[in-house]
Amino acid sequence: MVSGLQRVRSATLALLLVLAACGKDQPTPSATELAARHPADPHLDQLYQTSCKACHANAESGAPLVGVAKAWAPRAAKGEAVLLSHVVDGIGGMPAGGQCFSCTPDEYRALIRFLAAKD
Amino acid sequence: MLSRRTLFWLMGGAAAVAGGGIAASRVGIQPEPLAPPAEDEAHHLLWRNWSGIQQAYPAERAAPQSEADLLDILRQGPAPFRAVGSGHSFMPLVPTPGTLLTLDRMAALRSHDQTALTATVQAGIRLADLGPALAAIGQEMPNLPDINKQSLAGALSTGTHGTGATLPALHAQAQSFRLATADGRVLECDATHNPELFAAARVGLGAFGILTEVSLRNSPLKRVERNVWLQPLEQTVQDWPALQARHRNVEFYYLPFTGMSAVITHDETEAEATPRPPTQDNDAVMTLKALRDWLGWSPSLRRTVAQQLLKTLKPEKVVAESWQLLSNERPIRFNEMEYHLPREAQLPALAEVIAAIETGRPDVFFPIECRIIKADDAWLSPFYQRDSGSIAVHAFYKDDYSFLFEVVEPILRRHGGRPHWGKLNSLTAADFAALYPRFSDAAKIRRELDPEGRFLNPYLKGIFDV
Repeated sequence: MVSGLQRVRSATLALLLVLAACGKDQPTPSATELAARHPADPHLDQLYQTSCKACHANAESGAPLVGVAKAWAPRAAKGEAVLLSHVVDGIGGMPAGGQCFSCTPDEYRALIRFLAAKD
Repeated sequence: MLSRRTLFWLMGGAAAVAGGGIAASRVGIQPEPLAPPAEDEAHHLLWRNWSGIQQAYPAERAAPQSEADLLDILRQGPAPFRAVGSGHSFMPLVPTPGTLLTLDRMAALRSHDQTALTATVQAGIRLADLGPALAAIGQEMPNLPDINKQSLAGALSTGTHGTGATLPALHAQAQSFRLATADGRVLECDATHNPELFAAARVGLGAFGILTEVSLRNSPLKRVERNVWLQPLEQTVQDWPALQARHRNVEFYYLPFTGMSAVITHDETEAEATPRPPTQDNDAVMTLKALRDWLGWSPSLRRTVAQQLLKTLKPEKVVAESWQLLSNERPIRFNEMEYHLPREAQLPALAEVIAAIETGRPDVFFPIECRIIKADDAWLSPFYQRDSGSIAVHAFYKDDYSFLFEVVEPILRRHGGRPHWGKLNSLTAADFAALYPRFSDAAKIRRELDPEGRFLNPYLKGIFDV
């Protein structure tokens, strides 16, 4: 005799297995292309190279990638003040300060503008 | 592996099919933990550690470019001086109301000796940058930790380690270092120059001074074959001694409430490098979270569904240079407790930890990590004169982590564990003195070097200044 719980399990598993291949990958810029992007200002570039770049130029990190407008548009829509507070506080996978431990708020703003700039 | 979005949808179906499960599940968006104010009353900017549980408002922040710069800062800046690597310590090692130092601008490869297989690097270099820098000169660190974000100084100073029966932690590969001290000197430390300081400060928590440069004893650059497979925990426990003997690097993760474990091995190979597929690790962790969120109310259903999902995963086999595979991106933030136990106590302690979690804490979902580390001779090394087996228990950064102290730590302490210096623990100076035979010797040397406690924040004062 099949118990209620067994029926629940069977139905659940069937649902899971039938629908298990629905994931889709988003196209991303190549690693070379991402690595080549950097701020023009030498000081900002130094900060970017030792902090933001480790995640924002690395597709495996899950972070919005440098210069990928599609990823930045919904974030930019929240306004710079909100983005700055997300940098300072941390949010989701983004650690507080974004690994830049000497950055000032103005430098964070400049880095946000660079990251979100263009495709 | 299922995409996360698909899985959430499926879990909704599972809970709905079960009827009533949604009411008992954790369905919904978990809010971010409450953030402290962005500035304090004096307008000093907030600093938080990687996971967000430690915080400070340093009066000054400094990024020296050279030892001379650093010495100026140590002369003029407000104490206490605390250096931050990547903020991956969960203990309050970094918070300071004084000067927060980053060595991000002191992060270059200075020199190397291809015959002796040594390299001298500035201590601020991040592991993710050190790997390719050493590869370019045909060298590699013989062992690496799981995460690639740490600075070399931070990794050495907290006893950070990889895994492998014959491989010691990273600091055992430091053959010398330079240390900027509170009285404005830079001391060369190795087995013959300042040998006691070398022994005491090799795992030094930034409490003896600031590491500026390290000479590493490396290995020739090699390719390794990485294999990852899932099997029941009972099988892994049975195989564990043989796995340790057979593989250069070996570890396993127990996936809570599933009965299953993931075994990961790395072995040297002459085979050509293979394409590296995108990592499945992060989706796997979020899959376990989704199972917790949607089916945590029913351990039996959670286990059954998990085992069916895990059956769809194929074993992974990849060949690449060692540094490319041993350290990884870990974008899912967490808090962690890790203790290093006598090797023979690892599996008995693990069994107790799993039983305690699975009978009382259905909210736990992060994989529990087991690694092995060879003994070394640094006085404050958790592996001091002891081959060790580690157990690391994690909590998602948005989740309550009090169970680590209430449920996990008593078990790990009872089995003789020494905590990872950067990971959660509740130990006091007296506890450390009992666990480390040379602790009081190290504390004495530290006091002589820094009598005013300029490198001690409140937590470290409690450890060293008692």
